[in-house]
Amino acid sequence: MFQDNSPLGRSVYGLAKGLALLGGVVMVAVIIMITLSIIGRTFIWAGLRPILGDYELSSMGIAFTVFTFLPWAHLERGHAIVTLITDRFGPRFNAWLLVITDAMMLATAAFIAWRLYDGMLDKFAFRETTLLLRVPLGWAYAAAFVGASVFVIVAIYVLGRSVTNAVTGRTEPDRAGAEI
Amino acid sequence: MSNVLLGLLSFPVMLGLIFLRVPIGIAMLATGVFGSFLITGSFNPMLAQFKSLTYSTFSSYSLSVVPLFLLMGAFATLSGMSGKLFDAAASWLGHRKGGVAMAAIGASAGFGAICGSSLATAATMGKVALPELKKYGYSGALSTGTVAAGGTLGILIPPSVILVIFAVQTEQNIARLFMAAFLPGILAAIGYIIVIAIYVRMAPGSGGQRERVPYGQRFSQLVGIWPVIAVFIAVIGGIYTGIFTPTEAAAIGAAGTGIIALATRSLSRRGLSEVFLSTASATAMIFFIVLGAAALNSFLALSQLPQVAAAWVGDQGLNPWLVLTVVLLLYLVLGCVMDSLSMILLTVPIVYPMMLALDFGLAPDDFAVWFGIIVLIVVEVGLITPPVGMNLFIINSMAKKVRLSETYRGVLPFVASDIIRTIILVAFPPITLALVWLFY
Amino acid sequence: MGQDVTLRVHQFLPAQAPIPSQAIAPWAEAIEAESDGRIAVELYPAMQLGGAPDSLFAQAQDGVVDVIWTVLGYTPGRFPKSEVFELPFLITNGEDSSEAFYNYVMENSADEFASVHVIALHTHGPGLFHSKDPIATLEDLQGMKVRGGSRIISNMLGQLGAEPVGMPVPETAEALSRGVIDATTVPWEVTPSLRLTELVTNHTGFSGEQGLYSQTFGFVMNRGTYEGLPEDLRAVIDANSGIEVSRAFGAVMDAGDEAGLQIAVDAGNSIVTLDEEETARWKEAAQATIDQWFADMDAIGIDGQALYASAQEHMAAVSGQ
Ligand code: NA
Ligand code: NA
Repeated sequence: MFQDNSPLGRSVYGLAKGLALLGGVVMVAVIIMITLSIIGRTFIWAGLRPILGDYELSSMGIAFTVFTFLPWAHLERGHAIVTLITDRFGPRFNAWLLVITDAMMLATAAFIAWRLYDGMLDKFAFRETTLLLRVPLGWAYAAAFVGASVFVIVAIYVLGRSVTNAVTGRTEPDRAGAEI
Repeated sequence: MSNVLLGLLSFPVMLGLIFLRVPIGIAMLATGVFGSFLITGSFNPMLAQFKSLTYSTFSSYSLSVVPLFLLMGAFATLSGMSGKLFDAAASWLGHRKGGVAMAAIGASAGFGAICGSSLATAATMGKVALPELKKYGYSGALSTGTVAAGGTLGILIPPSVILVIFAVQTEQNIARLFMAAFLPGILAAIGYIIVIAIYVRMAPGSGGQRERVPYGQRFSQLVGIWPVIAVFIAVIGGIYTGIFTPTEAAAIGAAGTGIIALATRSLSRRGLSEVFLSTASATAMIFFIVLGAAALNSFLALSQLPQVAAAWVGDQGLNPWLVLTVVLLLYLVLGCVMDSLSMILLTVPIVYPMMLALDFGLAPDDFAVWFGIIVLIVVEVGLITPPVGMNLFIINSMAKKVRLSETYRGVLPFVASDIIRTIILVAFPPITLALVWLFY
Repeated sequence: MGQDVTLRVHQFLPAQAPIPSQAIAPWAEAIEAESDGRIAVELYPAMQLGGAPDSLFAQAQDGVVDVIWTVLGYTPGRFPKSEVFELPFLITNGEDSSEAFYNYVMENSADEFASVHVIALHTHGPGLFHSKDPIATLEDLQGMKVRGGSRIISNMLGQLGAEPVGMPVPETAEALSRGVIDATTVPWEVTPSLRLTELVTNHTGFSGEQGLYSQTFGFVMNRGTYEGLPEDLRAVIDANSGIEVSRAFGAVMDAGDEAGLQIAVDAGNSIVTLDEEETARWKEAAQATIDQWFADMDAIGIDGQALYASAQEHMAAVSGQ
């Protein structure tokens, strides 16, 4: 069930990938918005104007984007780890270690999503908005919550995958991981 | 147990978790949350803090520059400009002894000017340069060592994602840090080229050279890389002159490299999706650690450890240069096992206030910039120091027939040049600060 | 050391800035002294305990920390009724306006602070223009790129004929020096930290007592912390809360204004006070901003006109002292 080529695995991959691509599209939209705003600012003398609230729009857009990227990074094992010491231990040890760290990731994802949800309720309750455009912050939180929820779903799947692997003695294929 | 002691003890605990393969972001976040519980006696402060901490960290305007620079680098990687950069560099340098390797360094420096990450630079240049190096008879050790070291130019030459993080953490101006990184970055490239020149003379047969190329062709190939130069000038020039904020400059840069990719017809649907997904992984990796660091820092501030440590170091009357040397050596050692971003996020909250308490004869802002550049160089050395160096691994995996031990051997002379450069920059702060003083 | 309670005070400015060093630190010392050391106050400047400045109010409310000082405008929409003090040409000096603001909130918008215990509420002194080119008349402002720090101010700049550019404070100095903006609106108190007098040479204020605009600030305590204090310690907090503390914070703003002004004078900058006739033109133009605010309040079911009238009354009451 918890295999990348199973129906569940394919749907989770599709979900995480689709969300990350949506994040990419939002990022491109932010880039276009910033470019237009710079053009508007440069040509004020010609009657153009900058986009009102460009700073808050880019902050909101990038925040949403980062949330959409979290599930994909976990699914693809993109998060930074140090394997120097654990590489000396056998594959079985590492398989079970992975179960533990994946459970920790699930706990972290759930924690982030749970707190974000409460934060969203607060933002709605206290009617907080952005500075210039007065976009209700609750909606920005709600959009972020979509990413955080998928992060939880992915974390459940990844934990299931590593438990299955540990029990059956399979090893997870090496993934490149992210680096900067 | 005193709070300061708690703060101090959190480090071995956290390092223990990290060495047990716990993702670094989780190790920092968990240490922050549980440490704060031990100090305040309640989970409520952290539970309340996390209602807004994740969103406010991810929506920070200063940090939004990071994914934009990563996207810019991903487009640049896709666009095939690395090949043109290599050809241009090779037409000028290729006929010298060791010239093809020198060209790889030159091209890496050029690519570093439009890419803010080290690994992307190493991987991209590896694809282009490794086959050429092989063709002209370069040894596996020298080839992989060269490309791995060249990759660090991606971070050392601005734009640089790590410098952005350092700037945000120490509340320094990104433009000033980018400006300060410029000369040391060029020095790094020159140092690597000198290493190659010495290497091929001391180990004859480790590398050949290409045919000399007429000047007409050399200049026409320089003209061929104009889009890279244009994007670099727009981004770095825009930041230096203050026409753009760093975030705006990164957006313009991403648009620029995106257009180059479009113009070179490398931007298929599949290519675009690859660009987005690689940006996604790297972005999420960084922000996840930054979030963990936010929780950790808030706990450390509560423990008063940074304040107490800074006061203690200030009171001891220690020789500042000795302290700096010890700190840099620690970074070098830590860099052998850890990635540079985590190292910076983990150590700067304690180390930076401590170093600020010492007198190096520099104004606080100048000190911050100078220290930031030196730390950047030292943590980047970590990318190419055995046994754990991400650049070494990625390049070695691309050169199928080269053993890892050969790569380790090949990179050591480059590490030596890094250490010499660090000593020079430590001894002569004006090298780093000259451009900053000139423009500010 | 024998203290019963530790109060953690969190705020966004560096420790050496005027309010942290001259208002919050003395307050902390008073609390420690008057409680005979039974209350210990720990000061955490520059957001050391984490989060963004706009999360400070929530931090006090939720008990992340015990006490916070923040700009109320950092959480737009949260204090709609208190926002009236940001309207153009309402406030005078920081000290008097802070008393008026405190009284106004207690009468009209105490519900907006119900989730915390208020120690002090205050404003800054008169905001004014700092520009590269001189602003001698309303016409000089036309098409000028000006940074405004809040929506009311941005609206007002647009209605006065300027091109409002929204931008975080830290970006302002850089943006000014490179021509991204031509002018900014802040009170004198802020100018030294931004080194504004080196970046622009013209400063334009207005005749009469009223300043162009103000921002409002809150120094508030977690409700649970306050209510959990033993009675005698709560009395210490009470003795260091209210109108007098609010006035003291406003007075620090005024002193900061004088210091900032002196730096500009010493730098030989051109400091213009528009005459009464010209000031009247600006006030007339700014009426559109006030009307706009009435309409915004109407839309969320708040009687803006009544609140504005009350704010004016409270201002008149303190000005008469
Ligand atoms: Na770079
Ligand atoms: Na290393």
